[in-house]
Amino acid sequence: MLSRFVARRFAAAVALAFGVVLVAFLLTNLVPGDPAAANLGQRAIEDPDAVAAFRRQYGLDQPLPVQFGRYLTNLLTGDLGRSQQTNRPVRTDLAEFGPASAELALTATAISLVLGIGLGTLAAVRRDGPIDQALRVVSLGGVSVPLFWLALIALYLLSFRLSLFPGAGRLGPGAPRPPSVTGMYTVDAALAGDWATFRSALGHVLLPAMVLAAYTIGLLTRFTRSSVLEVLGNDYVRAAHAKGLPVRLVVRRHVMRAALVPIITVVGTAFASLLAGTVLVEQIFSWPGIGSYAYRSATTLDLPAIMGVSLFVALVYIFVNFVVDVLYGVIDPRIRAS
Amino acid sequence: MRGIPPKAPLALIIALTVALGACGGGEEGGTDEAVESDTGTTPTGDDDAPSPATEDADGATTAPEEADTGAAGPRPETLVVDKSFDLATADPGRQFEVTGTIVGVALYDTLLTFEDADVSTPVPHLAESFEANDDATEFTFTLRDDVVFADGSALEADDVAFSLNRVRNLKGNGSFLMDGVTAEAVDERTVVLRAEQPTPQLPRILPNPTLGILNADLVRENGGTDAEDAAEADTAEEFLNTQSAGTGPYVLEQFDTTTETILAANPDYWGEPPVYDRVVLRNVEAATQALNVQSAQSSIVLDLAADQLGQLRGDPSLDVVEEASPNIWFLFANANPEISDVTSNPDFREAVRYGLDYDAILELAGDGAVRVPGIIPNVFLGALGEQEAPQRDVDRATAAVERLGGDVTVELEYPSDFTANGLNFGPVAERVQATLAEVGITVELTPAPIATALETYRAGEEQMGLWLWAPDYPDPADYLVFGAGGIVGLRAGWPAGSDPELEAVMEEVATTVDDAEREPLFEEFQRQMNERGVMFPLFQPTASVVARTDVGPVQFHPAWTIDLEAVGR
Repeated sequence: MLSRFVARRFAAAVALAFGVVLVAFLLTNLVPGDPAAANLGQRAIEDPDAVAAFRRQYGLDQPLPVQFGRYLTNLLTGDLGRSQQTNRPVRTDLAEFGPASAELALTATAISLVLGIGLGTLAAVRRDGPIDQALRVVSLGGVSVPLFWLALIALYLLSFRLSLFPGAGRLGPGAPRPPSVTGMYTVDAALAGDWATFRSALGHVLLPAMVLAAYTIGLLTRFTRSSVLEVLGNDYVRAAHAKGLPVRLVVRRHVMRAALVPIITVVGTAFASLLAGTVLVEQIFSWPGIGSYAYRSATTLDLPAIMGVSLFVALVYIFVNFVVDVLYGVIDPRIRAS
Repeated sequence: MRGIPPKAPLALIIALTVALGACGGGEEGGTDEAVESDTGTTPTGDDDAPSPATEDADGATTAPEEADTGAAGPRPETLVVDKSFDLATADPGRQFEVTGTIVGVALYDTLLTFEDADVSTPVPHLAESFEANDDATEFTFTLRDDVVFADGSALEADDVAFSLNRVRNLKGNGSFLMDGVTAEAVDERTVVLRAEQPTPQLPRILPNPTLGILNADLVRENGGTDAEDAAEADTAEEFLNTQSAGTGPYVLEQFDTTTETILAANPDYWGEPPVYDRVVLRNVEAATQALNVQSAQSSIVLDLAADQLGQLRGDPSLDVVEEASPNIWFLFANANPEISDVTSNPDFREAVRYGLDYDAILELAGDGAVRVPGIIPNVFLGALGEQEAPQRDVDRATAAVERLGGDVTVELEYPSDFTANGLNFGPVAERVQATLAEVGITVELTPAPIATALETYRAGEEQMGLWLWAPDYPDPADYLVFGAGGIVGLRAGWPAGSDPELEAVMEEVATTVDDAEREPLFEEFQRQMNERGVMFPLFQPTASVVARTDVGPVQFHPAWTIDLEAVGR
């Protein structure tokens, strides 16, 4: 049963990945613009030899179907092509920038989970009270405030004015990077037992992660509140209260478990969108992640990089959806049985 | 219904906040990476600003050495410079971007250079002397005998010939600098550069960091070649991105195009050692740069816009250096009747030339910006005096519009997502639109992302265009491209043969060797352009360098933005 489920998922993932590659390729080539013009200088673009050398180097001198066929063939061997902006294999770029964004998105997700579910539950059990009203304002603010504005204000207040956080970047300027295992500095520094670097990396990731989490916190708070409220109205919860169980126990044991299934759906989607939507935060916090890479790729019509990023994000979405599906079964035995 | 006590979630929030604080700035954040200095003897001008630490959690410490510039407070040991990166490579022959130029100047010396910020006169650098023949087709350089590469090997003429020929054959962005020029090593200390045509501008081209001199043997060992097929055969870039192979004041410690590139002082440098032993060049957006330099998390920032500078000028802990950038912002009206019957009409050019409110447009460009009277920037040979700039004459412009039949409508295209010197094209285009509306010209703005706008611009398909030109080298010959038949002229639908009188001047100045004779010819070129041309030079925007005062003296350099080796000297 499980193997059939995994096989079905895998087949869907392959089909989806192919679709993403095809759409990204077509759309990028539909954009009026020439990668050579976007990458070569004002003089070089007028030099036919320089333009020819550039096109040859990146395979742009071939017809589009040949380019696409060659891309797919190379993809089977794990070769995602060479980025025109970094002049490195896209796979190398993704291996560097992906973990940086993942570190940011995972930290933001952790913060969102703790605060979003905690505050949402609190709002539900304190329904219509002052706490609920206050949290409604907070969550509404979280989902409505522009991210770039929040990032600048957070950097100004919490880093520049109050010195609660270090500035931009993943580490201090010129600081040695931890030996790369996962590409996530906090994890790598911890694995290496380098606690000074760990503290520095954690300090650097927290502020951008909190900014990035603002929207998800607001969303989760609202979603958790309504989900918990729905469960609180069930007979078995009233029965638990009637038996004299402590409120905390009722909420933890009987309410949260039932309320978590829809929440997990939101968390899964939110994580993937956090990963894909870090462009502004990464720009302001000088965070060298997928968002910055995607932005630079788009502005320079860097086709291999655009396709690489699209594929990466699609795979993350597929993986997260898979994890969410599995978690449904873990949390709710009825889903497992069905 | 009874509620649960809010203690659990609140406790979580408090714990998280404490954890955040513990990992954050406080004792080590805000300043943990600030290899900054100000220990209190220098007034910060801001009582609330965090006190910069003297030791950083990442191991960097301030040096006890006092700045000898009069600035109070010890000088930081590491120079942290913020720049919004356009960095692509550390291979000097392949780089041609602003950030690459800054790195290139620090790692690689050139045959000639410019002293301080004076780009009018090239002076010997790796060459101890040079001479040119009468028609500027042959240049002979005698090399210094005391120069060594970072690996200890001595500089020889073969290194120079290899490096310059390699640039030409790489077919990269900077290859045009060596177009038609061949370098030959005559003996160990003599190099001859032969040009196919008179090239009087060559001495001003040679200081370009793209023409930095490489250790030929080392680069050849690592895949480098100067052969004609270098565009395909040369594979040295990967090596040069990990290790520099020059004679410059710095060597490459770490190269990264997206986060930070680190330079370490070259212990065997043949010249005066740089003041700073280590430079960290960080990729930081302009909005964050202002905060970084104020909070001492960076020593120098390079990309602030004119409106950001206003907030910093009163801060006594900062030096705000503002100069006119050598970049030229200009408009053109397409002279090709197939593109537009209106813009190709000489009366339309007259209407635009005298209808533009140049002063109103200049207001957008910042306090350090200047009006540019001709197409050549004010720091280069042949620049026109301010009095020669076209002045607004609404009656004359309106009369020209009436000769066109009145109420003309044209499209103005510009890159909508591109910012240079902190200035966006959008507001400038809007100001152009507003001022031309006053003389009866309706301008429809058609912004486009730069990747697509470049396509129509280079194809010569824009009716009117708003663009900028950054100098490739500090010689007025670089601006002949704006004339009829030049590459920018062609983009404005202005082919060779369109203006024989102007082209005769262009031809004469291109082959004139003596600067004393070139200068009046370039002035004449611009006067005729101002009279009949299709280009409308607008302004040179503000270029800035903002530094902490304890860094020491800092200059904006018109050719390479900042000379890291000279900072603090």
